[in-house]
Amino acid sequence: MPAPFSRDCQISGDAVATRSPLPNVAAALQKSKTIRILAIGASAARRSTRGGHIGGILQQAIKGLDVVMINRGVSGELAAQAAARITTEVALNEPDLVLWQIGTNDALAYVPLADLETTIVDTVRWLKEHNVDVVLVGLQYVNSMEQDDNYRAVRDLIRRIGTQENVMIVRRPEAQRMLSHAAVSGGGLEPDEFERSEAGYTCLAQYVARAITLGLFGAGNPPRQPQQPAPLRPAPAPQN
Amino acid sequence: MVRQPNQVDFWRGVALVSIFINHIPGIYYSRFTHAAWSISDSADLFVFLAGWALRLLVGMPGRQQALWYLVLRLFGRALTLYAAQILITMLAIAMLASTAMLLDNPLILEWNNAAAVFNEPIPTHIGLVGLTHQLGYFDILPLYVVLMTLAPFIAILDRFAPNAVLPISLLIYCVTLTFQIGIPTWPVEGNWFFNPLAWQLTFVLGFTLARPDGLGGFARRHIVPIRWVALPIVILGTILMFTMWWPDPTKMPPPRLFFILDKTFDTPPRVIQFLAFIAVVSATYPYIFKFLPWLVAFLSRFGRNSLYVFCVGSILSLAGQIIRNFYQGNVAIDTVVVVCGVAILALTAWLPEWREDVKVQRGTQPALSS
Repeated sequence: MPAPFSRDCQISGDAVATRSPLPNVAAALQKSKTIRILAIGASAARRSTRGGHIGGILQQAIKGLDVVMINRGVSGELAAQAAARITTEVALNEPDLVLWQIGTNDALAYVPLADLETTIVDTVRWLKEHNVDVVLVGLQYVNSMEQDDNYRAVRDLIRRIGTQENVMIVRRPEAQRMLSHAAVSGGGLEPDEFERSEAGYTCLAQYVARAITLGLFGAGNPPRQPQQPAPLRPAPAPQN
Repeated sequence: MVRQPNQVDFWRGVALVSIFINHIPGIYYSRFTHAAWSISDSADLFVFLAGWALRLLVGMPGRQQALWYLVLRLFGRALTLYAAQILITMLAIAMLASTAMLLDNPLILEWNNAAAVFNEPIPTHIGLVGLTHQLGYFDILPLYVVLMTLAPFIAILDRFAPNAVLPISLLIYCVTLTFQIGIPTWPVEGNWFFNPLAWQLTFVLGFTLARPDGLGGFARRHIVPIRWVALPIVILGTILMFTMWWPDPTKMPPPRLFFILDKTFDTPPRVIQFLAFIAVVSATYPYIFKFLPWLVAFLSRFGRNSLYVFCVGSILSLAGQIIRNFYQGNVAIDTVVVVCGVAILALTAWLPEWREDVKVQRGTQPALSS
């Protein structure tokens, strides 16, 4: 069953994450009841003080499951640097799933979108080639940035890559926006964006755990067209 | 009386300017630093030259200070570096917080690993003081603090068993890479970006190669053939950087860290390329000195005042990130950031020497160099 949300984080499960299968996590689960998750990016790697953490939530949701969390939350780095580190960490830790928080530093540094797209797509494909599933965690939702073209472009780019590469995305902006609206429509005040981040991290852990369980027990996963593997840098491998 | 411009101070100055530029991610001018075409970058140069400078502080064989005085001085130096790290971290946090408030943009609070400072202040402040929480791009100085804390032990070992320093360093390095021993961060889980157990090798290599005898003497006597061996390594590294070609790390035999490119563990391909790089690039110094003496004088001053310049450079890099964000990053604003940044760094390097000059003229004791 999907991992549950706490009361503060209640929103529609489908709004939280796109549905995409996690075949390598499922295979690991079937084989040994143990899954290894590599978390890259500071928010993804955080162990929330209030709402538990991704591994703990997953273990509660799936009986007998052992989750090994490998947190490599170096922050400040751009996607290009994180991508290089992901290949190394995969070689060293052999995870079944990479949880990659992406976009914030690149959006703030105004990294050209084409470069960012190449980095993410190449890395996602490299991971797939190496039998590692990936979940992308998007940008933080910020009201004042909704009118910022670059912020929206990075957010949309991550969504588009998710669809194109059939990769699960935790829709952090949408989830945070829905939480804000829910608070207002429930008679409360909209939480201050400067103050709600800790709750945001708690919910983020729950959304990621939910996304993983949905990916694992993928009933209702929409059918997708198989992707033609695109050439990887630097040497395109001909497909036979 | 300040030191005359020399090769060590000059290259240290080069490293400091490179670090300032490369710590502004996305900036146009980073393509002109050697990190763009070299496997190793200015961090390697900075740590290596810190080891070299330690040799100058410890003294050459036959011209050494009293051991107790040396140990106290080195611990004092480590304490100064630690204080500098705390100061620049606090300034950085204040800069991020005030920018987020001014621009009404809490996204900035997530920048450079700062989010935990604002969202979990209680454990994170413990982490900041304990150096287990480091902001992005503010992670070299913690490495330097650890290395300088180890420096008294290196100095003692060097005094009584000089030939054991490098083998012990290599042993620690190999054990670290074999068992993938990382230094954990907290409260954000992860590892130190610069693993001191691995990076101490580059520091000790600088310390060892600065010796006039032993390995350092050997390198000086055979520098020409060494450069011929080093040149193809540097060229190969450049080709790798431009083609992005490197063997798949998952196909490497265990222990994999010995064969893959990794900055955190300062892996052997990186160390080897760096040693080759300095062997080749050091050949250019006499020509730079001859044809661009003003540049040598200018950058040597940075090197002589490296701690001040490094600290101000770290803050300026963050300021550069913020300015780029505000003006949506373009070549014109990047030019302004680099020109103004280097000018402020030059002022930073000039001020302590001017202060010393004034003191000397007034007949008081000169201040300690940074």
